[in-house]
Amino acid sequence: MLKKMLRGALFAGAAALTASAANAADLVLYTSQPTGQMEEVLALFNEEHPDIEVEMFRSGTTEVLNKLQAEIAAGNPQPDVLMIADSVAMEQLKGQGVLQPYSEADTSVLPEGQYDPEKHWFGTKLITTGIIYNTDAGVPAPSSWKDLLAEEAKGQVIMPSPLYSGAAVIHVGTVTQQDGMGWDFYEALMDNDAIAGKGNGSVRDAVSRGEKAYGIIIDFMAFAQKNDGSPVDFVFPAEGVSAINQPVAILSTAKNVDAAKAFVDFQLGQAASEQAVKQSYFPIRAGVAAPEGYPDPATLNIMPLDAAALMTSTDELKRKFADLFGG
Amino acid sequence: MGERAAAPARRSKTIFSGFSGEQVMLAALCVYVVGLCILPLLRLLTEIGTAEPGTVADVLSSRWTQGAAWRTVEASLGATVVSLVLGVGLALVLGLMQLPGRAFLTFLVLMPMLVPAQIAALAWLDLTGPSSVLLGAVGLAPPPGTRNWLYSREGIILLMGIEHMPIVFLAVRAGLRSVPADLVEAARIAGASTTTVISQIILPLLRPTIIAGGALAFVAAVGNFGIPAILGIPGRYTMLTALVYQRLSGFGPSVLGEVAVLSFILALIAGAGLAVQALSQRRARVTLTIVGGGLKPTDAGRLGLPVTAAVLLVLVPASILPLIALLGTSFVKALGVPLSADTATFAHYLTVWDNQAARRAFVNSAWLSLGTAFVSLVVAVPFAWFLTSGRSRTARLLDGAVDAPYALPGIVISIAFILTFLRPLPLLEVSLYGTAGIILIAYLARFLALGVRPVVAAFVAQDPALDEAARIAGAGALTRLTRILLPGVAPAAGAAVLLIVMSAYNELTVSALLWSRGNETVGVTVFNLYDEGNTTAAAAASVLAVLVTFVAAALATLLARWLPRGVLPWQA
Repeated sequence: MLKKMLRGALFAGAAALTASAANAADLVLYTSQPTGQMEEVLALFNEEHPDIEVEMFRSGTTEVLNKLQAEIAAGNPQPDVLMIADSVAMEQLKGQGVLQPYSEADTSVLPEGQYDPEKHWFGTKLITTGIIYNTDAGVPAPSSWKDLLAEEAKGQVIMPSPLYSGAAVIHVGTVTQQDGMGWDFYEALMDNDAIAGKGNGSVRDAVSRGEKAYGIIIDFMAFAQKNDGSPVDFVFPAEGVSAINQPVAILSTAKNVDAAKAFVDFQLGQAASEQAVKQSYFPIRAGVAAPEGYPDPATLNIMPLDAAALMTSTDELKRKFADLFGG
Repeated sequence: MGERAAAPARRSKTIFSGFSGEQVMLAALCVYVVGLCILPLLRLLTEIGTAEPGTVADVLSSRWTQGAAWRTVEASLGATVVSLVLGVGLALVLGLMQLPGRAFLTFLVLMPMLVPAQIAALAWLDLTGPSSVLLGAVGLAPPPGTRNWLYSREGIILLMGIEHMPIVFLAVRAGLRSVPADLVEAARIAGASTTTVISQIILPLLRPTIIAGGALAFVAAVGNFGIPAILGIPGRYTMLTALVYQRLSGFGPSVLGEVAVLSFILALIAGAGLAVQALSQRRARVTLTIVGGGLKPTDAGRLGLPVTAAVLLVLVPASILPLIALLGTSFVKALGVPLSADTATFAHYLTVWDNQAARRAFVNSAWLSLGTAFVSLVVAVPFAWFLTSGRSRTARLLDGAVDAPYALPGIVISIAFILTFLRPLPLLEVSLYGTAGIILIAYLARFLALGVRPVVAAFVAQDPALDEAARIAGAGALTRLTRILLPGVAPAAGAAVLLIVMSAYNELTVSALLWSRGNETVGVTVFNLYDEGNTTAAAAASVLAVLVTFVAAALATLLARWLPRGVLPWQA
């Protein structure tokens, strides 16, 4: 009897294992783009490629990367395609040998610097980080990063954490490299009782609900919220903004390279760019107009970033940030 | 794993001819228990012992560590007070008074136990938030944009207090049965009032039991992850379990050493609670040995209805309303829209069904929990037999080890298993990390105690003469186990399976750190759906998950009449 039971259990176990392996999707995508937007993106992708079933795992860039690194450590990376916040992280992955080049990708529409010359990753949108504020909160409209250190802003500032968000890694990295700001700026923020939320979504929610008057946030989230009628506005501070380009890349371990290439082609194409504009993103592709009411991307004052220096110090950055704000 | 425990015994005649079947079986059990319940925890200790100099000091001196440790103690103590007030009060009322609908009331008291912490947190947020379907229906919903007050220390204390109240209730109710009825009778005859009887006789006698129950509730609160994660992270009230999770997801596998230190602190705090529990339980056993009958509930008389109403006034908001709110949210078209026949929709259930990861999670949790239950049973039956038949000192030594992974916080267990199994297995060259295998073995360790306890209780209740007779007649260990002993403990074994399935199916604290794509669990799915802002789909998935637990509980209750007392926690 025991023998029969054991055999039954083994059989059931094996059946369950194969069952969960069998429903693997055609294309596995790890991304940091918000779920709601990605559903629209994948619906559009499936209009072009109805035969490719995409399975998505979505979290903040930092969490996505840590998940991926753990999978690599265990020898079993899952995704075919990665679309995360920033190219600094992509360069790290490229250096690690995790990405494969896609040399036939059409980069003619991308400005220089927005894709890897060796074609390992390709920028898909332009996203800047500035300040959101609640227009009903009765606080002065900010014009400078330093306004977040003012008395009116005490206990009123929320920002995304680099322990979750890739945009926040680049933003903290950029700001701390600027003369006159540096880590002193973040220590002053802490002294002014600023807090770190999780991702940019938590900043958007806290400021539009009026729990906080000011937030450090990526532009499209603030603009989309404003367009939905929330009492918020977005400011490009005088010192400049930080910028990322939401690159897409194919993993060297991709199981379905053809589907992965189709997804990259789709992301670089006209339709996806236009959809991104509808989703309130600055377009990266030449010849696509910015959303209504946005400044001309060419006029944006983007703070300089030494990407090579940041590449080797992201862990230290996250650690310093966690020491200040707990993450 | 299971075959390790039983298969060698079957082949004992050919391969292990030098040993008796009994010895081989015992050796296999030792390997199993030591490998799953002891080694990973030792690995956690060695990680700390061999950490780079400075790591431990850095972690200990970080104000975030100290803050989180303090908040863990503070909120858990607060929650313990809530659990004690509710648990002792309800146990006294239900244990001393013959109230109408007592079985139903008891079910309501125990309901928080059937609802996993993360789902309880979601349900309470659905109940009290601006988009509350229930409050909205009576015009009491807070205005849109109001921050839910549950995102606070007080919110965490209240919810953990309710979540772990049944632990105190069960301990005190069991304790009441061993308060000598003669004593109360004598006091009554001497003219003592009810208040005097309770405060002068019953409560002093119950004190060790109450302390033990409170200590267990404290340990459960220390290890709680669902409530601190869902309420505490947005509420800026970071407790240790949430900090471990945040650090690991923010820094990745590179911070395992630091996270090991954090989980060790967590284990120490839980260990303090367990020590208090063990000490007071020993005292409870000494003081409450009775010869005559234990205390029985008496007729409530005129007080019956008002007291029942008062009990319902506490239990309906604590146990039922949050679940109704959850159900409402799972059917409402969009958050903030009032629920009516026109706005009700199945769309969120379809969203869950269409979500590959969510659909997979229901399958994964099903086979993980069934697999855990089955393997644990195969191990628990012989183990409990060795333990109760008194023929093995080794088994008794291992007994404490079986309890450790269940008593310690689940986050500690998962860190221990990541540390032990991240590197590729020797010989096989594959890592279990990132596969369903690591979740399965962590579950096997965590829930073994749930399999062993009911079976031990059944063996204790069995007449030892049968086994002795079979042995004298020359029956081997396996024959006696399968022919004589197993049929007697079958109902308890069935109950053990259901208890394990109920606990493992909705489990989050262990799988939160161990899941990977393709190996999602129901607990993780609910948490992730909520985390990405899909509140309605999270509610729908929660409703389905809770349904499974309720069905398992109902099945276990059907078995109740064949079970020794105390196997099912909610048995009256």
